[in-house]
Amino acid sequence: MKRSALRLAPYPVLVADTHGVVRFLNDTASALLPHARPGADVTRAVPGWLASAHQNLSAVPVGSPTGPGSAEPEPSVSPAVRGEIGERSFEAHPTCEVTGEVVWWLVDDTDHLLAREALRMERERTAFLGDASNALLSSLNLARCTAMTARLAAGHLADAALVIEPPVGRGLVMVSCTRDGEPVRRQVGVGPDLVPGLPEALQGFPPVPARWIDPAAAPAWIVPEGFGTVGSIVVTPLPGHGVSAGALVLLRGAGQAPFTENEEVFARLFAARAGAALSAARLYEEQSSITETLMRELLPPVLHDVSGVEFAGAYRPAADSERVGGDFYDVHPAPADSEGQESLVILGDVCGKGLEAAVLTGKIRNTLHALLPMADDHQRVLSLLNGALLNSHHTRFATLVLASAVRHAGSVRLRLTSAGHPAPLIVRGDGQVEEVGTHGTLVGALPEAPAVTVEATLAPGESCVLFSDGITEARGGPLGDDQYGDDRLRSALSECAGMPAAAVVEHIQMLASQWVRGGRHDDMAVVAITAPRNNHLSAVGGRGPGRFTA
Amino acid sequence: MTTMPPAGLLLTVSLTDAHTVCVGIEGDLDYDSSQQLLDETREQLSRHPGTRQLRLDCSRLGTCDSMGLATLLAVHRATGAAGVRLHLDGRPASLERVLRLTGTLDHLTDPQAGAGSVLTEEPRPLVRPDRQDTP
Amino acid sequence: MSATPTHSAPTHPTPFGEAELRGTTEKLWEAVSRGDEYAAYGVVLGAQGAGADDESLLLDVIGTVQRKVGEEWAANRMSVATEHMATAVNDRVIAALAARHAPAAAKDLPEHDTGQDRPGRITVACVDGEWHALPARLLAEVLRLRGWHVDYLGAQVPTPHLIGHVRRTGPDVVALSSSLATRLPAAHAAITACRSVGVPVLVGGAAFGDDGRYAGLLGADAWAPDGRAAAELLAGSPLKPPLTGHQSVDDLPHLVDQEYTMVRRDSGRLVKAALAGLEDRFPAMRSYTGLQRQHTAEDLGHILDFLAAALYMDCEQIFTRFLIWTAGILTVRGVPAASLTPTLDVLGTELKEFPRAGRLINHAREALNDSTLPTPRSGSGVLR
Repeated sequence: MKRSALRLAPYPVLVADTHGVVRFLNDTASALLPHARPGADVTRAVPGWLASAHQNLSAVPVGSPTGPGSAEPEPSVSPAVRGEIGERSFEAHPTCEVTGEVVWWLVDDTDHLLAREALRMERERTAFLGDASNALLSSLNLARCTAMTARLAAGHLADAALVIEPPVGRGLVMVSCTRDGEPVRRQVGVGPDLVPGLPEALQGFPPVPARWIDPAAAPAWIVPEGFGTVGSIVVTPLPGHGVSAGALVLLRGAGQAPFTENEEVFARLFAARAGAALSAARLYEEQSSITETLMRELLPPVLHDVSGVEFAGAYRPAADSERVGGDFYDVHPAPADSEGQESLVILGDVCGKGLEAAVLTGKIRNTLHALLPMADDHQRVLSLLNGALLNSHHTRFATLVLASAVRHAGSVRLRLTSAGHPAPLIVRGDGQVEEVGTHGTLVGALPEAPAVTVEATLAPGESCVLFSDGITEARGGPLGDDQYGDDRLRSALSECAGMPAAAVVEHIQMLASQWVRGGRHDDMAVVAITAPRNNHLSAVGGRGPGRFTA
Repeated sequence: MTTMPPAGLLLTVSLTDAHTVCVGIEGDLDYDSSQQLLDETREQLSRHPGTRQLRLDCSRLGTCDSMGLATLLAVHRATGAAGVRLHLDGRPASLERVLRLTGTLDHLTDPQAGAGSVLTEEPRPLVRPDRQDTP
Repeated sequence: MSATPTHSAPTHPTPFGEAELRGTTEKLWEAVSRGDEYAAYGVVLGAQGAGADDESLLLDVIGTVQRKVGEEWAANRMSVATEHMATAVNDRVIAALAARHAPAAAKDLPEHDTGQDRPGRITVACVDGEWHALPARLLAEVLRLRGWHVDYLGAQVPTPHLIGHVRRTGPDVVALSSSLATRLPAAHAAITACRSVGVPVLVGGAAFGDDGRYAGLLGADAWAPDGRAAAELLAGSPLKPPLTGHQSVDDLPHLVDQEYTMVRRDSGRLVKAALAGLEDRFPAMRSYTGLQRQHTAEDLGHILDFLAAALYMDCEQIFTRFLIWTAGILTVRGVPAASLTPTLDVLGTELKEFPRAGRLINHAREALNDSTLPTPRSGSGVLR
């Protein structure tokens, strides 16, 4: 090829002969290879990888003379080799001339390689961010989510990571994690002011990008135990939903390269995801703690034995996702020091369901608690409750049973009043099941709530069972659409003679739940009042050690 | 005659004479559906101010749960406030049972009851049984 | 951590050996099977006073008695109601034991305990529909004795409650108990839900098979054959939080044929069809009382429940074992177990579109024909 053509080629071009001597190079090549000039030895003129590629190529006779009479011998092209010249990467494409000289075309592919590398990193990061999002969003538990953030950041972004929580009160709470280590939760009694950028990151305002910190100036608490010398530190805000979800501090060891701009951008992408997940977890925790506090008042109580009378209750709300509903029960025990005083049991059902109904049950339970001093007159309690619940806006009502129970000479004496509620059933010692003859009007919707109170006595081993219609009206059974009904309830109870209250309740609750076979059902509540079979005066109520007297 | 289309509950309204509105109830009166009956009643009472009687035909009523009963009580309040007499016609046994159990049968079917607002209503004479009574 | 904090009173240094434990177990069985709660307290608290350690009382005494309760029920020697009574007595004995133990330190723990000296926090629950809570309760108490922060949620915990609780409290592990194979689909839902929020699951109970073979199929992280093994397993290396992104459909690919779903949904219709089919074959059934008919319907309902569970797990054993057991029970009741074969025939006809159900039914039919069952004393009724 003509030298003049090569001189004008848009690539660096170098020609060397079979003896390994540079014969020609164009200006671009001269600029790239300062030691190369015509006449120089290839091994000195070009990097080793290219020199040895040239030697390999020259050893094989190519473009060798062809037979006489043939056309002019053709130059041939050999496979390219790749290597670095200076800081850049080149592909060297050899063309073998018929003279045995090799023309090396040097093509700079640095950017191409960089783009490929960037693409690979980008894919890796996208995959990591996807995995990180899955891991972070899977748990709405704040502590777990914080630990996960620290672990992921330490594993993929730095040698160690610190997640600092938004401050509440004095001091800072943080979770730190070193690469391959376990997250550790710590508390330090200092404010964030000593770390540049940290107050802003924790406040979420003003918006700041990642901030570099001089490792020498950083406070000691920022470095996890046993980390060694710090090379570089970056503080990145964890942006939440409108508020800060904390700050992420990334640390690299002294021997490691500092964070590049690209890595900072990536850390910010991770921080955005982690911040959103932390914020969701915090919100969930706050909401569920509020719900928990409010719900505690509405949950059915755990019942204990009181003064020689057994009480047990069980409750299953209509919706599996709820823990409260329209049924309720309470036992107000007689004062411990008052021999012969009655305990008051209440089981009721307000119309409606879910939280809305539960709030009304809360009102009723509070009102009844306040009316306890009048509990010797059930009718009076019901009339006052009725008055308290009457409301001109709606006709939401409640039905309930009041039962006053007291131990008397081995038996339990009961006074029972139904206000529009299914009458209680008594399980006698021989398995007979009797309906108590009390009846009355529901409360909360009509101007008056008259009711009939009935007395009954339980001999040892006998139980009085209060229940809501969610039990008897439960639909299901093997055929799928039958009501559980009064008859099945009675026949189930007839097997409960002589059983402790807890067993009676569990038996009924289980049978009714099995009847619905996982289908839709109303709230179901059962309470059993039982006269213990044995004449022990003191029973174990599970309320602490030492109550048992053998 | 108007027909309400929704899923669980079908209400059929007809006027038998100038003073009487009849509402046929077909389906279940429950948590999901019962508000519809109250809305329809109020609508009819305001549309026909001359109404003296509201007849609810319950013969094709399915189940009536506690929200259904609360709705019947609210309908009774609404008719009482408007000076309209409420009739529950063709009560199926299940409804009868719920009304008896909750002590609301007399209130909902007694011609004397239900006049005026519940909160201003004169107390009816009541038999207040002594708590020592046993049946 | 493997050291068990015993609770022997210092005034009773006499060793409480295996013989004493066996004696205590027998006495407790006596009291529990009579439903005598107070005698039961006396037996267990007396043994505790005599130097028995709490873990042995829970696992070797109460646990053994409760297993016997289960066996008596399974052998039809104890009614469901009596089983409940016995269980309630056992439950209250555990409560009394726990109340005596009640270490002050365990009560005042902060909500988010990060102390390294404690084994960790665990949620113990029964899967939805599972009423046999005692094994879970025993595990909960044993783990408490061993220093765990235990949240015991009790019998039949709906999965949404369980997950709400797990989210609120962030336990290191969830222990799930289930005794009946028919609860395996519910167990799968609970296991999947716990793991999807990043908490590993340990399962136990008869439902998962003698060797725990169903535990792995349902994606559980670990299985233990009994309470002591569970406590030991948890004392070893901690269970790793599961990887997220797992899809529960991958566990049981056969569910794609919808047979489980259809049988479950059609259960009521299938019971009716089976009743009608049986009446055709056994005219005597037409004169059944309402109660007899109801019991037969309930038996058929159980058969379909186990068929559904077997379809869910794609496992013949679940269905066949239940039928063999039912045949045994019927024989004890004096009912010809041969009536089970026509029942299977009727179901087979009803489910002829369902190849997997058909295979399960055939397998059970062959097993019934092969098994040698004692002849019933009398034989007029079908199933009852």
